[in-house]
Amino acid sequence: MTTSNISLFQAMNAKMSYLAERQKVISQNVANADTSGYISKDLSKADFSSMLTNVTKNKMHVTMNKSNPLHQFAPDQTPNPKIAKNKSPYEVEPDGNSVILEEQMLKASETQMNYTLMLNLYRSATDMMRTAIGRKS
Amino acid sequence: MSDMFATMKVSSSGMRVQSERINVIAQNAANADTAPSKPGELPYTRKTISFKNVIDKETGETLVTVNKVNQDTKSSYNQRYMPGHPAADADGYVQMPNVNSLIESMDMKEASKSYEANMGIYTQTRDMVTKTVDLLR
Repeated sequence: MTTSNISLFQAMNAKMSYLAERQKVISQNVANADTSGYISKDLSKADFSSMLTNVTKNKMHVTMNKSNPLHQFAPDQTPNPKIAKNKSPYEVEPDGNSVILEEQMLKASETQMNYTLMLNLYRSATDMMRTAIGRKS
Repeated sequence: MSDMFATMKVSSSGMRVQSERINVIAQNAANADTAPSKPGELPYTRKTISFKNVIDKETGETLVTVNKVNQDTKSSYNQRYMPGHPAADADGYVQMPNVNSLIESMDMKEASKSYEANMGIYTQTRDMVTKTVDLLR
């Protein structure tokens, strides 16, 4: 048995990969802060509530394996957010660039805070597991 | 985790183009007084730089690279009255480069600000990776 079968860990994993991907999108925006005509992007908000209900109701899920790219997503799989162009930027510079460094820094620190939160939760969850199996740590 | 390394790659590409930009600005500033050697010749022409996005074939991420280093032929050359200069025309004027030190110093400030922003994202992502690796301890 691995931790990936537990819905709590699944949910935390999904959130962490979402945050890592968002950090990547933000870094692309910052790298293009002086590229003319570049419109800043962001990751659409992901809804993790369905995963959370799995955790709170303690459901054991058996999901279908995706062995072919043509297969459909199983309904209980993690939300996959889309990268979308930011439609309402703070301002657009004369050269068509809409990256505002302050806005991006804000988003980056938000991402980092959430990521650290997830890491700490992960750590305490594993500590609980350790205690349950009777190992002192 | 691969998202994190991609983020660091994107940020470092951003830093690279900004240092390339600083290089161009330094060339402009250094040649601010480069006069032609003969009358009728053109003096040093200010250089401009632009950026673009390319897809990195190795990782599939969009990185920033230098698009073109152009010559700024739109702004006019300065005329300076120096009758003793070898490049002076019949009226005693020498064509001097179209470099405006004020513009160059503002460009330099913007470039170093953008560089720092990229550096900030890089450090932040590195911290996230380190904390994730620390889960193993």
